[in-house]
Amino acid sequence: MGKYKLKLAAIALVAIVMTFFAQETLAYYTTVGTATNVVTSGNIQFTIHETTKGGNPFPEEGVYVTPGQIVSKEVRVENSCAHPFYLRVKAVYGIDSKTLSAEDCFKLDIDPADWTLADGWYYYNRIVEPGETTPVFFSLVEMVGAKMDNAYLGKTLTLTVKAQAVQSQNNPVTDDDITTAVGWPQEE
Amino acid sequence: MKRMIAFVLAVLLVCCATVCVGAEDSNVTYHGQSGEFIFAPGSDDSPTDLFVNFKGVMPGDSLTQTVTVKNDKSRDVKVKIYLRSLGAQNDGKSPQFLSQLSLRVRKAQDNTMAYMFDAAADQSAQLTDWVELGTLYSGGEVNLEVILDVPTSLDNTYSQQIGYLDWQFKVEEFPTEPSDPDAPQTGDLPRILTVSLCATLSAAIVLILLLARRKKKQADAS
Repeated sequence: MGKYKLKLAAIALVAIVMTFFAQETLAYYTTVGTATNVVTSGNIQFTIHETTKGGNPFPEEGVYVTPGQIVSKEVRVENSCAHPFYLRVKAVYGIDSKTLSAEDCFKLDIDPADWTLADGWYYYNRIVEPGETTPVFFSLVEMVGAKMDNAYLGKTLTLTVKAQAVQSQNNPVTDDDITTAVGWPQEE
Repeated sequence: MKRMIAFVLAVLLVCCATVCVGAEDSNVTYHGQSGEFIFAPGSDDSPTDLFVNFKGVMPGDSLTQTVTVKNDKSRDVKVKIYLRSLGAQNDGKSPQFLSQLSLRVRKAQDNTMAYMFDAAADQSAQLTDWVELGTLYSGGEVNLEVILDVPTSLDNTYSQQIGYLDWQFKVEEFPTEPSDPDAPQTGDLPRILTVSLCATLSAAIVLILLLARRKKKQADAS
């Protein structure tokens, strides 16, 4: 009986030791790591370049003009963001007079091959890719002599170029008609 | 002529390489030696950023990010890896921006449409609790496919926004065993069986000893 018990005790010991090993196998090490993920949204940005024929910046203070004079003023728009966009541009005229109008005082040499007039805006006929600069919107401004009579003497006329852009990514147009793009900003 | 062909091939190779660079994968590596996770490649906004393809998103975008979760080869261990989301950081801006976007997550290997996460990007949703990604042996990996959908209705209010979204990975580490398969998915069953067998055997032996003792006492008493 003593031998029998000894054997049993030995087996029990082995089993217990095995169990300990097995438990060690089960024991696990746990660690946690945190990843801070970031989503950013893009935007559309452009720069309007106004230069003279020689490439110099157009004078901020303006120029003195006379009826019939043709002024060199080249206007281009550069895509200065990472996304392609559709573009529309328009010229807004002004004068420091409540009785006179600046309309029809300016004549611009806008090339219809590049720009299509619709809704009062000139739509650029292609997509402006990132880093790309458009051809000139206009390069010469003629002061219309027939319109500018003596009443305009000493007045200040302004020609302001406004531009709007909307993304072309995920924004297909119908029949290459840029005006059908979705998302053009509302008129101010 | 050969030079011309070589030149054309070289140009093609460069073009292919350029195309491949477009979408970048990210990695989560459990480094057994240090017992830490390493997140790569990160970004300027966060060193642990896994969403490298989700930058400068535009309305209408549907972008995919592959995240490879690896068990480093440096130690002979197998691990169970879990994922959970803490949702958008409560910084005042992230929740509002991310709530406009939809996020889906699934294991790429599953090749099913079942997503482990499918909700607005600011939510933790189905990943609020830990979700097991699998058991990985040394050098093993699992690929997650993360898809971000940006609605076309996202307007200028949300241009140039930034959203922070925290994910946590947890690992449970086990030593490998000879019975482990070479390229397994799980491998836990043999160990559980061994433990159960040992425990049962021990209990049986102890019981036998107790019975034997009682029998002896009874015999001595009589």
